[in-house]
Amino acid sequence: MTSPNGLICFTNCLLPMQDGSLVEKDLWIDERRGVVLDSQQTFFSRKQRPDRVINMGGNIVSPGFIDIQINGAYGFDFSVYEGDSDAYRQGLQTVAEKIVETGVTSLVPTIITQEKSLYPTLLSLLRPCSNPKGATLLGWHAEGPFIQPAKRGAHAPLHIRSPPKGFASFEETYGAQNLAIKEEWLMDGDAPLGVRIITAAPEITGVLEAVPEFDQRGIVFSIGHSIATSDFATEAVRRGARLITHLFNAMPQLHHRDPSIIGLLGASPHLSPPSSPTNSPPTSPASPASPVSSARISSSQVSLRMTTKAQSEAFDDHETPPQTPMLAASRVAGKVPRLGLHLEKGQVADLEFERPFYELIVDGIHSHPNSVRIAYNAYPEGCILITDAMKILDPHLKDGVHEWRDGKRFVKEGVKLYLEGTDTLAGSVVTLDTCVRNHSRFTGCSLGEAIKCVTFNPARCLGIETRKGTLCPGADADLVILDRSGNVLSTWVRGKEVWKKE
Amino acid sequence: MALASAHKAPGLIIRDNPTTVGEYIGEYIAKRINDFRPTPERPFVLGLPTGSSPIPTYKHLIRLVKDGKLSFKNVVTFNMDEYVGLPQDHPESYHTFMFREFFSHVDIDPENVNILDGNAPDLVSECNEYEAKIQAGGGIELFLGGIGEDGHIAFNEPGSSLSSRTRIKTLAYDTILANARFFGNDIAAVPRMALTVGVKTVLDSREVVVVVTGQRKALALSMAIEHGVNHLWTLSALQTHPWALIVVDEDATAELRVKTVKYFKSIERVHEEVEASQEKARKEREG
Repeated sequence: MTSPNGLICFTNCLLPMQDGSLVEKDLWIDERRGVVLDSQQTFFSRKQRPDRVINMGGNIVSPGFIDIQINGAYGFDFSVYEGDSDAYRQGLQTVAEKIVETGVTSLVPTIITQEKSLYPTLLSLLRPCSNPKGATLLGWHAEGPFIQPAKRGAHAPLHIRSPPKGFASFEETYGAQNLAIKEEWLMDGDAPLGVRIITAAPEITGVLEAVPEFDQRGIVFSIGHSIATSDFATEAVRRGARLITHLFNAMPQLHHRDPSIIGLLGASPHLSPPSSPTNSPPTSPASPASPVSSARISSSQVSLRMTTKAQSEAFDDHETPPQTPMLAASRVAGKVPRLGLHLEKGQVADLEFERPFYELIVDGIHSHPNSVRIAYNAYPEGCILITDAMKILDPHLKDGVHEWRDGKRFVKEGVKLYLEGTDTLAGSVVTLDTCVRNHSRFTGCSLGEAIKCVTFNPARCLGIETRKGTLCPGADADLVILDRSGNVLSTWVRGKEVWKKE
Repeated sequence: MALASAHKAPGLIIRDNPTTVGEYIGEYIAKRINDFRPTPERPFVLGLPTGSSPIPTYKHLIRLVKDGKLSFKNVVTFNMDEYVGLPQDHPESYHTFMFREFFSHVDIDPENVNILDGNAPDLVSECNEYEAKIQAGGGIELFLGGIGEDGHIAFNEPGSSLSSRTRIKTLAYDTILANARFFGNDIAAVPRMALTVGVKTVLDSREVVVVVTGQRKALALSMAIEHGVNHLWTLSALQTHPWALIVVDEDATAELRVKTVKYFKSIERVHEEVEASQEKARKEREG
């Protein structure tokens, strides 16, 4: 099966491009170095052409999918550490080796709010790690503990905290070595590709102050489990927040007078850009959403909540009241609106305010298809599909009643997962390849554009778009072969086939 | 093969449109290569052009290779020309063109591909070595070419010596203007010079096949075959070649005399009848 000269040509195939198009073109890879080749240069300069040519029969050769938020799979929960590091590593490896059947070749294991003392251990176990037979573990995504109690979702209220000392509090919790500057953090590892994501609520005292430091150290700050107002959310982005965690879930719903976090998708390009020196944080009188005020939400408001089935992260949330428009003093006082409007169509501001990337769970349950389409149409370039899957994610699991934890049981019905005897969603069990197909169906975008939301977009958010999520020369030859309906036929990691549909 | 040359086709073949022209030339070249039975020791040496006219021919050759009816394993190619100073991987370089339109799709060995290097430190010796390499390989068996609207073959533009060999050429202003559309309509970005095989280099090959399609090439075609040999229409030098074939579409005949067109159509018909009767006779002999 290997090629005598180590080069492979995929021919008669469609390649997803970075602009979302699918182009009929050959792809050359080097299976020994595990990278995508510049075919023309290989031909004229190296004077080589692949000895092995694979006719793809018109199928799609896509960059491998990247899941930047996944809590576990195949029975292993990234957030559960039982004191045995080897067993934990074994669990990671099992997930890495099995998840490739869903087209995922890179993932960012996500841990939810933990008891404080566990973080340094867990995060050091989650150092980036490549796996010859499975997906690459890119690093970690720490969701919590600095989140909004009112939007805690499934996170244990006992462990949720605020970081009163700003970044120092984060270091205290996660372990300073885990938050080191990117280069130093990666120095002793063998995979020079590593990412870290932190989900926190910017309105919690001390969080906003820490954002620029994350940005500088190469850590992606993601806004989530939050009730930040539009002002707070915008300010967080100005200071370097790059991402929104599972949009629509665990955040206030879109209110037209203060669209909050979701509203960032519509932020004006004329807002002063991130890290502009004229920025000032919202002054405290204008910042309405402190944990204290949210704790005062009355029980009557909670009971007003409409009972919907589609809640998981939100199932034990306090309902936040519709937000009164805040004519923030700071907005009126501090900023000079940009005067120059452009006359040419398509032209935007000189220093464009860049909207953050946003994660969407496109299982048809956690976000209604209509909501998915609204978000995607507002800002397609920022869209990242995630599974946010629980440890029971396993495409082979049969529908029916299964054991969960603490003696609880859950009922699986397709991609829906209920706690037994309730209509409470117990989390997501959708696979990323299903999300891609759903996304194309829900939004009407092409398959190539949907693929972009699990390849190039997440890679760009993480700053690894030259190595992952692309078919550019020099990128890792992580590939997923899809039929023209988006079903996974085989998966390749670093130039080797690691999974094939039976 | 002596037999193949005995069955020389008439000098001008007229087909309906560029696609059928491409199919004709593709079949023709495939037959020549297959009849030649090339080996690693005795490869078939083929000269190749760039531009829009040969694309249908390349498409047909690619199909023949994919269908297993033709192989480029033992074919050595020499390209006609390349811009000076344009990076090899520039989208408009002839390296890029040849890789994209042809070489990436067929089974040719990269070691057998020759294209002038427009970024060579010493352009003069690059040209001389190219010419020497052609001769060392036994000369070109078949040179496929196209023409410009001014009748130029390769970058041998009007006024080029008909005995020229591979050398550096400054491009005519017309050509620079015509090429500007490939460089974002920025005339300053268009290369001013190119390396090109000479008219004599083309004439030296044992056979020349030229594709001429489209009405814009009609005047050049007329000047090349209905008037005398003239360095202002360099394709006309082909009149002195013993084995040259020009394949055109109907549009390209617009400036030809009716008599010329009728003449070539009639001799193609006669030629086909003779071929058919000889084939029949051969089968009867063998059967």
